Amino acid sequence: MLQLTDVHRSFGSVAAVRGVTFTIATGATFGLLGPNGAGKTTTMRMILNILVPDRGTITWDGAPIDGTLRRRFGYLPEERGIYGKLKVREQLSYFGKLHGLREPLLESRVSEWMERLEIGIYADRPCAELSKGNQQKVQVACAAMHEPEFLILDEPFSGLDPVNAETLLRALRHLQSTGTTLVLSSHQMYQIEHLCTDFCIIAGGEVRANGSLAELRRGWPTRTVLVEPASPTLRAVLDRVSGAHARPQQNGTLAYDVPQSFDLPALARELVAAGDLTRLERLEPSLSDIYLRAIGEPV
Amino acid sequence: MNDFGIIFEAEFVRRIKSRAWLLGTILGAAMIVFLSAAPSLFNHVISNSTRAVVLAGDPAIVAAAKKLIAKDFDTIATEAAPARPPTLADLNAHKDASAIIVLASGKKGLEARVYAKDAGGFRTTRLRDALIPLNVALAVHTSAAAITPLMDFSLDVESLDAKFRDEASANSARGFAYVLVLLLYLAIILNCQGVMTSVAEEKTSRIAELLVATTSSAQLMAAKIVAAGATGTIQLLVWLGVGWATAAGIVNSIGGPNGGLHTSDVTPTGLGAIDLPTSVIVAFVTFFVLGFLQYATLYAAAASLISRTEDLGSVAGPLTLPVLAGFLLANWGLGVPNATGVVIASQIPLLTPFVMFTRMAVVSVPIWQVILAIAINIVATVAIIWLAGKIYRVGLLMYGRPPKLTQIVNVLRT
Repeated sequence: MLQLTDVHRSFGSVAAVRGVTFTIATGATFGLLGPNGAGKTTTMRMILNILVPDRGTITWDGAPIDGTLRRRFGYLPEERGIYGKLKVREQLSYFGKLHGLREPLLESRVSEWMERLEIGIYADRPCAELSKGNQQKVQVACAAMHEPEFLILDEPFSGLDPVNAETLLRALRHLQSTGTTLVLSSHQMYQIEHLCTDFCIIAGGEVRANGSLAELRRGWPTRTVLVEPASPTLRAVLDRVSGAHARPQQNGTLAYDVPQSFDLPALARELVAAGDLTRLERLEPSLSDIYLRAIGEPV
Repeated sequence: MNDFGIIFEAEFVRRIKSRAWLLGTILGAAMIVFLSAAPSLFNHVISNSTRAVVLAGDPAIVAAAKKLIAKDFDTIATEAAPARPPTLADLNAHKDASAIIVLASGKKGLEARVYAKDAGGFRTTRLRDALIPLNVALAVHTSAAAITPLMDFSLDVESLDAKFRDEASANSARGFAYVLVLLLYLAIILNCQGVMTSVAEEKTSRIAELLVATTSSAQLMAAKIVAAGATGTIQLLVWLGVGWATAAGIVNSIGGPNGGLHTSDVTPTGLGAIDLPTSVIVAFVTFFVLGFLQYATLYAAAASLISRTEDLGSVAGPLTLPVLAGFLLANWGLGVPNATGVVIASQIPLLTPFVMFTRMAVVSVPIWQVILAIAINIVATVAIIWLAGKIYRVGLLMYGRPPKLTQIVNVLRT
């Protein structure tokens, strides 16, 4: 389990991270979200002991993260790096060794990850000759081939086409199955929402929201109901719901934000009684909604 | 194998396979061979092109002059004194002649005038030196044959310093010190720039962050520097091996009787001529290690601050100044090794490797000065490694425009 407690870090007069506290359970897939400049990268660098916090503690299973422990971690930074002149196989082998892999396991892991990420055909080509997407897969392999206990992937899907994104997704699911604790930072909310079990939203160096999607939704004050057809009778019923606010009508559907605690069966009964109801649906807030609200943007 | 070994191995292989290292090693060796052969070669070419002359004037004077200059010039024809100054057509009438030398007896001695095809290339000094006995003979009304033996007398200089037996061995040491300082300069600057390029490559290709997430920045920097040091040592050994076989020519050409570059004094003496004291070899190794560590760490730190390869020059430029200053001071020190400025410079870190080494090679430096210089430099090296390590650790994660000095100071405070 990774535990961050009241972590602070400043650069000169700029406070990049201010009192960040969260926990990541072993084996969880954790989404670390936030706008650019929110303090995500600084937080990730502190977790990996690349930067030292000014204040606060970071522990893995209760122990501070040192060089030995870090060898069991993996990291894919947002700013990608690669040795252009090294062949794909050499690059993977170098990082595998740095992560503690030794022959014969090293060779088998190199082959296994090249196959998993579908870059085996480029094994003996210099990395600089690969496309951007394939270079990114090489970098993912460098970070993950030792099948770390804890792996941070900063924007792993950026620059990947849908086919390569699916390949990466399969690789991440493999890591999930092996028990690797994953931290993903991405602006692609849909993928994050479906991959992660827990989330932390950071903005301005502070934690704005933290927990599983269900927990985050529990903290969301309203739900959205969709009703069809958009008839005046049904609209009148919805307008009578206490605290309800109409949202812009779309494609003949009435959309209303109603308090989280409203009585859906009672509303359903009233709508049925009012006339020709064809659709009644209650929508949970999406991760994107929660994210935007948490960072202070209009939803 | 630990991280240090893994990075060292990768870095060593990368560097030894790099075109820059291979070309540097080959060109360095070629330069050594060229410098060794050049004096003899130039001397040969110059001799051949200016050797043939025509002597004109009084037959007795011409006959005496012909004997005196025979060592350096071939007299292909003699003539009576011309009625008018010779022209190019007169010179061309004598195939292969480089000059017509007109000789006459004057009030004060010999009057000689040279009409050369190439006045700049003609060996005037040689001719003048050879004709001095004739000049004296005409002035004091005696024969040149009587004067010539008087011109040749031996002047032995005995060294009172225990370091060298005589002037010849001191000159030899000076010449060899020059070669070694040049090698030290090349080895330090080429390999430190190699470290800088390697760090800059990892920084600009953004792989640095991946590396420092895997291993410590201290191990990363140390392994890079040691690998560069190892490849630098191999390069030096190649150069020294080539130099060992060919350096005698340079030693003699530089360390001639007057310490000047008299190419015609070159007389290759073979391998046996190089008598290098063990203390100089130890000093060379010691100062190479100290100088390399000081400069390599500074170059690594400087390279860690840039985000684009184009910015490399702006951070590397200031570091080139002390290397160059050290090299120039060392050259100055060859002539005046105990001048106050040289003695002070030999105690200043970054300059010591060049200046103190030169002093040790050419004079007996008081032992306390050597110990003090090494002690100051060990302390300075530790301080430079600490400082550079700190800049490197933070610099690797800094992107954007090259930082200002105040930003670097802020980095050091964190």
